[in-house]
Amino acid sequence: MRQQVVYAVGIAAIAIAGTGIAYTLASGNEPLLGLDLQGGASVVLEPEPLPDGREITDELLDQAVDIIRNRVDGLGVREPEVTRQGQTILVQIPGVDDQQRAIELVGQTAELRFRPVLAQATQQDEIEYNTAAAVLDSDEGDAAVRAQAQAVVDRWALTPEASADEPSVLLQKDSDAFTNRFRLGAVPLVIDQGSVPGQRLTGETLESAAARFTVQGWYVAPTFKAGSPGIDDFNALARECNAGFASCPGLRIAIEIDGRIESAPTVGVAQFERDQIQITGAFTEEEAKDLALALNFGALPLELTPQESRIVSSTLGEDALDAGLVAGLIGVVLVSIYLVAYYRYLGIVAILSLVISGALLWTIVAWLGESQGLALTLAGVTGLIVSIGVSVDSNVVYFEHLKEDVKGGRTLRSAVERAFPVAYSTIVKADVASLIAAVVLYWLTVGQVRGFALFLGLATVLDLIATYFFMGPAIRIMAVRQSTFATKPSRFGIPRAMVTPEGGAS
Amino acid sequence: MNLVRMLYRGEHAFDFPAMWKKGLAVSGALVAISLVALGVGGLNLGIEFEGGTSWEVEAPGASVADARAALTGTGAESGKIQTVGTDSIRVRADTDQAADVVEISARLAEFAGVDPNDVSVTSVGPSWGDQITGKARNALLWFFAIVAVYIAIRLEWKMAAGALVAVAHDIVISVGVYAVFRFEVTPATVIAFLTIMGYSLYDTIVVYDKVREVGGRLTVTGRYTYTEMMNLALNQVLMRSINTSITSVLPVLSMLVIGSFFLGALTLQEFAIALLIGIVVGTYSSIFVASALVAWMKEREEEHRLVAEKVAADNDSDGGTRRVLDDDVALAGIPAKRSPSATRPVRGQAAQRSDRANRTQQSARPGQPPKPRKKKKR
Repeated sequence: MRQQVVYAVGIAAIAIAGTGIAYTLASGNEPLLGLDLQGGASVVLEPEPLPDGREITDELLDQAVDIIRNRVDGLGVREPEVTRQGQTILVQIPGVDDQQRAIELVGQTAELRFRPVLAQATQQDEIEYNTAAAVLDSDEGDAAVRAQAQAVVDRWALTPEASADEPSVLLQKDSDAFTNRFRLGAVPLVIDQGSVPGQRLTGETLESAAARFTVQGWYVAPTFKAGSPGIDDFNALARECNAGFASCPGLRIAIEIDGRIESAPTVGVAQFERDQIQITGAFTEEEAKDLALALNFGALPLELTPQESRIVSSTLGEDALDAGLVAGLIGVVLVSIYLVAYYRYLGIVAILSLVISGALLWTIVAWLGESQGLALTLAGVTGLIVSIGVSVDSNVVYFEHLKEDVKGGRTLRSAVERAFPVAYSTIVKADVASLIAAVVLYWLTVGQVRGFALFLGLATVLDLIATYFFMGPAIRIMAVRQSTFATKPSRFGIPRAMVTPEGGAS
Repeated sequence: MNLVRMLYRGEHAFDFPAMWKKGLAVSGALVAISLVALGVGGLNLGIEFEGGTSWEVEAPGASVADARAALTGTGAESGKIQTVGTDSIRVRADTDQAADVVEISARLAEFAGVDPNDVSVTSVGPSWGDQITGKARNALLWFFAIVAVYIAIRLEWKMAAGALVAVAHDIVISVGVYAVFRFEVTPATVIAFLTIMGYSLYDTIVVYDKVREVGGRLTVTGRYTYTEMMNLALNQVLMRSINTSITSVLPVLSMLVIGSFFLGALTLQEFAIALLIGIVVGTYSSIFVASALVAWMKEREEEHRLVAEKVAADNDSDGGTRRVLDDDVALAGIPAKRSPSATRPVRGQAAQRSDRANRTQQSARPGQPPKPRKKKKR
C-alpha cells in the first residue's frame, strides 16, 4: 500500500469508530440488558401435543406469541420480549413486581367455555361411587357385577382432558369434595356457524372482559359480542337452562376455564343483555384481574407448559452487572499494563486497536438492543470479557512475527511489509474457526448458549476488521519513523541485541 | 529472570520433541483420571439439566441450618441448601410445581426479611434439560465436522485430525476437573466448555500455521526431519503462545477474584474456573498434543521418512533433537523473493504453491542454500 493510502485507511478506521460512538451517544442508544442483569422474569413455554394429533404449525405458534404479547402488554410492563425460538416460546418480562404471577398469566391457556349442567354429584352418588370402586379394587364379583360397577364409576370419574363436544365430569375450583363434581353437557354449537364449522360457545364469543368489585367480592364481567356468535348464543343456552330442557336439566350454566369450573350459577332469567353476565368464583383481586386480562385477548390456540422459568431479583441482577463491568475493566487494565510493559509502543497500538473494536462493539450492541430487542446477558458479558484475550492475540501474533523477522536481520520497515500478510493469514485462519463455532452454536442451540455465540461471533468479526484496518496501518505508520526505531528499538519491545547494527539491506 | 530475558530476546531453543514423551504420560494420566471420575461419579448436574427449582436470596449472616429450619414442612428442607458468596443462601429442590415454588419463595423471603420479589427463582421442567443437552450435542458434532473439513482445506487433513484430538483432550480434562471436584455443571459451565473448545482450536491453528510456514520453506532443503522443523516452529511460536495465554488469563483471573466479592457474580465465578483450566490446558495441548500427533503422522510420509533415515545414518546424535542451523532459520524466515509473483507478500494458496515450486528448483543444489539476507554474526 502506498503511504497515503495507509494513512487514509488508518484514519478512516478511527473516524468510523468515532462516528459509531458519537451516533450511539447522540441517539441515546444503550445496550439492552438481559433479565439476569437487570432483574425480571423469563419463561420458556413449550406446546403440548394437540389432542387431535394435528401438527403444531408455525401459524399456531405465531398466534400464541401474539396473544401472549398482548397479555404481557396488558400487565403494563416496559419492553417485554415475546419471541419464538424454534418450537418454543420465550417470554421475558423485565422488572415485574409480582413475577411468579406474570409467569403463570402468560402461560395460561385461558380457554373459556359455557356449558349446561347435566347433574351435580350428591352424597348418594358418592356412596355408590365408593362402593363400586371398592368392587373394582377387589378381585371378587362376576363379570356382570364388575361391568355394572364400572358403569357407576365411569359416570362420576373426573374427565382428565375436558372435551368440548362430549359430556365431561369436572370439579369446581378450589375444592376436591365429591359433591363439587359436575357432569356437564357438550359445549353448545353457536347458532349461526357461518364460515367456521363447529364453532362453539367459548371465549371466542366475547368482546371484552373486565374485573369488577362489589360487596360480595371480585368478579369478572365479560361483554359478549352482539348477535351470533355472541350474546344470542349465550341466550339460547340460557333459555334451555331456564326452562329445564333435557339438554340442561340442572338449570345451571357452568363456566369452565382450562378444564375446571369457576362457577355454575343457576339461570334465573331467560334473556341477558350482553354486558349483564358475571363470572363469580371467590376471586382475589389479582385472580379476577388476570382472568379478565387473559379473556380479553382470547384463548391460546395451544396448551403451553413452562419448561424453564427464571426470576432474577433486581438486586441480584445489578450485582451481576456491576461485577461483570468491574471484572471487564480490571481485565482490560491488566492486559493493557502487560502489553505496554512487553511491547512498548506496539503495545499502545494494540490497546488502541482494542479500544476501536470495543467502540464498534458498543455501537452494534446498543443498536441491536434498540432496534432488534437483542439483550446483553451475563453469558454475553462473559463472552465479551473472554474475547479481550482473543482480540489481543491478533496483535501478539503479528508482533511476534515482526520480532522474528527483525531478529532475522530485517529493518522494521521491511519486516512490517512482510510480516503483516503472513500474520493476518494466520489470524484469519484461526478466526474463521471461531466464526464456524459461533455460527453453528447460534443455529443449533437455544437460550444462553445462543446469546454467547452471537457475541463471540461479533467480537471475532470486529477483531478481523480492527486488525486489518487499524492495527496494520498504524504499525506501518510507526515503522516509517525509522530514526526512532534505529536509535531506540527497545521502545518497540525489540531487544537491542536482536537488531543488527547496520539495519537491513532494503 | 534469566529465562524471561532469554525468551524476550528470542534466544531460547527448547527441545520440545524430547518433552513429548513426558507430555504423553501426563496427558494420558489426566485423561484417564477424568474418564474414571466421569465413569464412577458422573457429573454434578445443575437443575437446568435435571429439572427442579433453585432459589437464591440475600440473607447476611444466615446459616444453612437456620434456613433449613425455616423451610420445614415445605419439602425443600431435605434439598440442597448452601451459602453462596459472602451473604446469600441458595436452596435447591426437585419440585417445579408453581404452588410449591411460591410457598418456598415466601418462606425464604420471610426468613431473610426481604420482599418476596427479592427472591431469585429458577425453575426447570424435567424433560427440558434433555432437550437442551441433545441440541448442544448435535451442535457440537456439526461443529467438529465442519471445522475438520475447514482445517483439511486450509491446512491439511493430518492437522485436522491432530486439532480435533487436541480439542477432545482439552474438553475431557476440563470436564474431568468438574467430575473430580464435584463442581456443579450449569449452562454457564457448558458455555465455558464451548469457549475452551474454541480457544483450544484457535491456539492449535496458530501453531499449525507456523509449522506449515516453517516446514514449507525448510522441507525442500532435505536436511531436516519433520520433527526438527516442527521444533523450530514451536520455539518461534512459543512467545506468542505465552503472551496470548497471559493476556487471556488476566481477564479470567479478574473475573474469578471479582466474582467472590459480588453476590450476583456466581455465574462469573463458575465460568472463570472452567476457563482458567481450559486456557492452560488448551495452550499446553497445542504444543504437546496437537503438534506431537502431527509430527508422528508426518514422519510416516515417504518424503519425511527418507530424510529421517538419512539424518539418522549421518548423525552421531546424543538422542536430542538437532537444532536447525542459523542460516536455515534465516531461510525459513524469507519469503520467495526471486519469483515474480512474490514481489508482493505471499497470500493465499496459489502464491504459496509457486513459492514452494521456486524452492524446489533451488533444492537441486542443496549444498548452496540461497544466501540469507542476514548478516552473519560469526
